Amino acid sequence: MKCVICNREDCENGYCELHRKAYESIVKKYEVWKKVLEISWKEYLSEIIKNPLTGEWAKEVAVYLIESGEK
Amino acid sequence: MVRARMGKYTLIITEKPDAAQRIASALDVKGKAKKLEDNGVPYYVAKRDKDIVVVPALGHLYTVAEERSGRSYYPVFSFKWVPRYAAERGAKQIRTWLETISKLAKDAERFIDACDYDIEGSIIGYCILKYACGDKDGISKRMKYSTLTEEELEKSYAEPLPHLDFTLIEAGRTRHEVDWLYGVNLSRALTIAARDWSGKYATLSTGRVQGPTLRFLVAREKAFRSFVPTPYWEIKAEVEMNGSVFEAEYEEERIEIKSKADAVLNACKGKDGQVEKVDIRQLRQMPPIPFDLGALQREAYGLFGYTPRRTSNIAQRLYLEALISYPRTSSQKLPPAINYKAILKNLSKASEYKKLTAELLTKPELKPKEGKKEDPAHPAIYPTGNLPERVLDASERKVWDLIVRRFMAVFGESAIRQSMKVCINVNGHHFYLRGRRTLKEGWLHFHEPYVRSEEVLLPPIEEGQTINIRKVSLEDKFTKPPPRYNPSSLLKRMEEKGIGTKATRANIIQTLYDRKYVRDERMVVTDLGFEVLEVLEKYCPTVVSIKFTSELEERMDKIQTNSEKRENVLVDAVEILKPVIEELKDKEKTIGEQLSNAIKKARLEERIIGACPVCGTGKLMILYSRKTGKRFVGCTNYFKGLCKTSFPLLQKGTVRPLGKNCRGCGWPTVHVRIRGKRSWTLCFNPECPLKEERRKRIEMRNMQ
Repeated sequence: MKCVICNREDCENGYCELHRKAYESIVKKYEVWKKVLEISWKEYLSEIIKNPLTGEWAKEVAVYLIESGEK
Repeated sequence: MVRARMGKYTLIITEKPDAAQRIASALDVKGKAKKLEDNGVPYYVAKRDKDIVVVPALGHLYTVAEERSGRSYYPVFSFKWVPRYAAERGAKQIRTWLETISKLAKDAERFIDACDYDIEGSIIGYCILKYACGDKDGISKRMKYSTLTEEELEKSYAEPLPHLDFTLIEAGRTRHEVDWLYGVNLSRALTIAARDWSGKYATLSTGRVQGPTLRFLVAREKAFRSFVPTPYWEIKAEVEMNGSVFEAEYEEERIEIKSKADAVLNACKGKDGQVEKVDIRQLRQMPPIPFDLGALQREAYGLFGYTPRRTSNIAQRLYLEALISYPRTSSQKLPPAINYKAILKNLSKASEYKKLTAELLTKPELKPKEGKKEDPAHPAIYPTGNLPERVLDASERKVWDLIVRRFMAVFGESAIRQSMKVCINVNGHHFYLRGRRTLKEGWLHFHEPYVRSEEVLLPPIEEGQTINIRKVSLEDKFTKPPPRYNPSSLLKRMEEKGIGTKATRANIIQTLYDRKYVRDERMVVTDLGFEVLEVLEKYCPTVVSIKFTSELEERMDKIQTNSEKRENVLVDAVEILKPVIEELKDKEKTIGEQLSNAIKKARLEERIIGACPVCGTGKLMILYSRKTGKRFVGCTNYFKGLCKTSFPLLQKGTVRPLGKNCRGCGWPTVHVRIRGKRSWTLCFNPECPLKEERRKRIEMRNMQ
């Protein structure tokens, strides 16, 4: 199975090891964003895509999540 | 050759030609040794009661190599020490060098090894005495010195160590052999796997220290690229006192809930404050400790932006000119035997140090502040007191000045700083106003301009005083990712984890750049770097284990103190390596495919200049015409039929994407270098305002 983002082999749940780490970070940090700003998942993803401090892989995963509508 | 006209003499071996000249001149009765040459190899004759011939090496003249010849096979476990010309391409000069040393050894009756007193120097001297001079290692004496000053050289010649330091040599040989076994086998496994898969050759390397170092970088890069920031808020208050405005910080550095931050802001807006407490403290700031190599490299990186390798090379030049002591030291001690007073007196001859040294020389006792680390071979880095005999270049000057000022600062008094913390109550919320000033400069004065102490002077404030709060503001902030390593912080990490040695760390960092595993000053791991580490972690986790590497370092260090045997370390290292290599051989095809794809991608990435400014979605790239083979710049969207942007490119020289946009128009730029000409930055925008400005300037100049 290939990574939905970079086509690397050896994936788990659709993500390679590198993008899975980024996905986990996105999910974990949503809890903080939700608590402090009371925003929806989609709004959160848009915010982190815009943010220059967000890592490159996290941005790629966030774009994929918005486009695919997955959570 | 002059030796025919001389009787029996003492042959001194040095590590480098510059050191040979200095030693020969220091030992000659008139201070002027005669320079001679044999087949282009320089050597020096010093006259005193008996003649002395000083011949230099060129660093390592011998190296470890496999017993069987050939480069395209592995595993290799049998090795021997051979002259470098027999193992390395481009080392032909070494053959004549060794021939000259052998000739000079024939008529010598006494041998002295005067190479640098450390592991590398000891091996260099040992190999020459053993192999080129015909087993003279057993009868040779050893000169030990930390500076190339006349006094110290004279003393170390008059009182040499009775024999070579064989434990140091054993430790060094083991280190070279273990590193060779790991480096050759692992690097060949990677290179051959990629070559056999793709049919193209690219050097890939890894080693006992390189692998774990790359691992630090990859771990940080993963954290950086997966980072998701979280918001927080900071509250600041502008406080007006005696016509000046100061900034006060809210009692909670970070507020993590927006509604809470808004509530504080609303409560404080338009309100005056009242001084609740004024806390004044005095802090003693101790002088710094003397430089060891790592500390000098870090300081030079922070102050001048020099890479650790550059600093190491500069320090080596300063040492060879007898301006500083031996730089490859891990000591933070300055023993009184170096004669602090004499050094300061000599330094006082330079106008810029006259006043400062005079101040120190009036002290009844000179006692340096020292660190904990010791090095049995050398003291910390210090200036010899000699002044430059030539005009130093800017970088040499800066590093020398830094070493001189640090040396003076370690003898300085502690600086005394005063901190003032004012607690202001604004409607039940506390803000802190902080002031700092220097009461007594102490050592800071000697270390200027390399130390800056921030001064914030507050007017006199009393408890109960009412304060005018001009403004309270809320700042949106986000948490930041862990910073990428730079060469200096990586060096520090390697030191902390005990991997590599002071002599090798800077070169290992440079190798990571040379292999294209990392790029940029803030070290960004490339795809190739990720793939190489992934292969190593997957198929041979032991060799990238930081624990394994530092344990092996410890065992090798123990050989030096006779508490470990060289044979045991070698046998164990091979035992660990064997199954690793078997696994790599077994998976050669899979590894080859993975690495080949990464190399292909890396080569493509090297040609990308930046985003196409015309279509906005493609990338400008250096391409080669199928018809003519000539290079040009084109947009990657051309192949999709979306963008036809292209620009001609010079066919001569090298063109390297700069990764920076033009400051005039924002288009991507390249760096062009043609042999024999000054390199320049090229912007592809034909309407770039900078080009227009330049054209006008030239026109004006021509008119004048």
